[in-house]
Amino acid sequence: MKKRILTAFLILLAAASLRAQNVIDLIISEVMVDNDASVLDDYGDRCPWIEVFNTSQGTVNIAGCYFSDDPSNLTKSPIVKGDLRTKIGPRQVVLFYADGNSSKGTFHLNFPLRAGSTLYLVSNDGRTVIDTIDIPEDIPAGQSIGKFATNNKETIFDDVHAYTPSPMSVNGKHNQKSKSDIIKENDPHGYTLTIVSVSVVFLALLILFTIYNFSGKVFSGQIKFRNPFKRAARPAGLAALPAGREEEVALAIAMALNAECGGEAEAAIALALHRFLSECTHDAEPFVITIRQKPGAWNDKTRNFRKQPR
Amino acid sequence: MGNIIDSLSQFWQFTGFANMTVSHIIMICIGIIFITLGIVKEWEPLLLVPIGFGIIIGNIPMFPGLNIGVYEDGSVLNTLYQGVRMGWYPPLIFLGIGAMTDFSALISQPRLMLIGAAAQMGIFGAYLLSVAFGFAPNEAGAIGIIGGADGPTAIFLSSKLAPDLMGAIAVSAYSYMALVPVIQKPIMLLLTTKKERLIEMPAPRVVSQKEKIIFPIIGFILTAFIVPSGLPLLGMLFFGNLLKESGVTRRLAETARGPLIDVTTILIGLTVGASTQADKFLTGRSLLIFGLGLTSFIIATTAGVLFVKVWNLFLKEGRKINPLIGNAGVSAVPDSARVSEVVGREINPKNHLLMHAMAPNVAGVIGSAVAAGILLSFLG
Repeated sequence: MKKRILTAFLILLAAASLRAQNVIDLIISEVMVDNDASVLDDYGDRCPWIEVFNTSQGTVNIAGCYFSDDPSNLTKSPIVKGDLRTKIGPRQVVLFYADGNSSKGTFHLNFPLRAGSTLYLVSNDGRTVIDTIDIPEDIPAGQSIGKFATNNKETIFDDVHAYTPSPMSVNGKHNQKSKSDIIKENDPHGYTLTIVSVSVVFLALLILFTIYNFSGKVFSGQIKFRNPFKRAARPAGLAALPAGREEEVALAIAMALNAECGGEAEAAIALALHRFLSECTHDAEPFVITIRQKPGAWNDKTRNFRKQPR
Repeated sequence: MGNIIDSLSQFWQFTGFANMTVSHIIMICIGIIFITLGIVKEWEPLLLVPIGFGIIIGNIPMFPGLNIGVYEDGSVLNTLYQGVRMGWYPPLIFLGIGAMTDFSALISQPRLMLIGAAAQMGIFGAYLLSVAFGFAPNEAGAIGIIGGADGPTAIFLSSKLAPDLMGAIAVSAYSYMALVPVIQKPIMLLLTTKKERLIEMPAPRVVSQKEKIIFPIIGFILTAFIVPSGLPLLGMLFFGNLLKESGVTRRLAETARGPLIDVTTILIGLTVGASTQADKFLTGRSLLIFGLGLTSFIIATTAGVLFVKVWNLFLKEGRKINPLIGNAGVSAVPDSARVSEVVGREINPKNHLLMHAMAPNVAGVIGSAVAAGILLSFLG
């Protein structure tokens, strides 16, 4: 029962985290209140617009979310579901028209955007505010406010400020040079990149070497840690054995068995058993046949058979 | 009668014979050579036979518009090729490699990891040369990775950095992987003395199951933290190894190292081969890439062997390393380790170097994945 509860909890947690990876990646990247010369909507009208930017590297569906300019009514203008265009690609934008007439289509809000108000983008639960933007009173006609990305590949945005309108395009530096071009300029012969890369490869494997060298010494018994519980955990018969002399004891058992029974097999079994019980190195290959006394539901064939009628 | 002749004439135009060019014939001959090498010489037949046949498939002359070519959107071959183009076959191959590789040799002799790092010089040597030959840094990085002797890594990185060169890079990487015994042996003999080749190394200690289970977890966390961009390759490699070593996921491990890697190898080989269409492949740049690929293999082998020789200067007697395992720092598992064994036994039949050579060999797999991650970070 506990396992089931734990599994259900983990599934819920995973579902919640998946959801969290989606709409919270959206931001209101730019808004324009007084549209006198900017973009026209599908009906040829100029109206206030809101640009939403997907900052993530995955597609996010904004359907089911809400816009509002009223903190007491966060679900003022819902974004309808079922329109494929509400899926915003990675690092892409989508435009909404705040003209107060949602019957015009998916991307039209049922309230007009006004200067001096605060615009809320609300998650599809109707409570969680994903992003807000305060629209100044004195914003001049023909100018938008927005968040300017300092780097198109990063999710770092400046504070909101007046901006030359750029609807339907990412607010960032365009035509940026690729990493390759930058490397070509700064390191035309490739020496720096080579030295850095070789160093990192060596460093990575050097760290691994250090750790496995240490762990190898621990596992091979060159470095010993005192385990206060070890004696208690050992089988009762072994508790009387002198600590640190397992090899000698094993040898004595093996020799005694060999002399008594004359069988190498018994001696080998004794040695192996002793090494195993005293937690010495035991190279158990993954394909050994193991007989489990308590099989789980996963591998217990009897639980998967239909019971015979009595 | 006229209609029949017209139809036959029209049909002739549809055939491969009418559309054939010299380039097609050359590429088909290359495909046949690959298949022959794979079957007759048994050089990496699991790779060369699918790639060789793929080359023939990709170079059957035809007129465009049939929507069957590997570069035509929506065709069957194009759909299968997405695994190469989008880079999701290589991590699946790495999953299988992880599930079939025993890292015991590496865990018992961790110092040999450094040979795996030294052999990555082939990658960066080829990068420098490629830049000198006028390739853009991203292209040079993709070409350089051929020196890692790791086909899946080469495909993964070239699909990200230089998709246009991917066919040439992939074929080059797999070809040289098949030719590892031919390329490496003369270099090893040239760079080592008889005395060095006779060095016997102590038997590695027995590795406990606990160590084998801990290795992929710690190894993955460390390498992925250092180079997160190598995540797909490193993650799958170490995950596959954990499946193998945990002892409780036997079925998953068997699937990963059996049917899964086999299916992926078939698809990757066939589609990489098919991507070498004559008009896109037979260019001067492709020949240059082949030359640079060979050079990178030579540099990698040389760096590995020389690194051991220099290292030996600082090691006490009895701790010295046979430089014949230096070549195994490239990640052609287990071919390069096998070359170390064969060359070592030629001079001393009792000197078995295979298990020792497996340590730098698997370290090379990790090293080349790390190197790919670094190049992707800087150039991607």
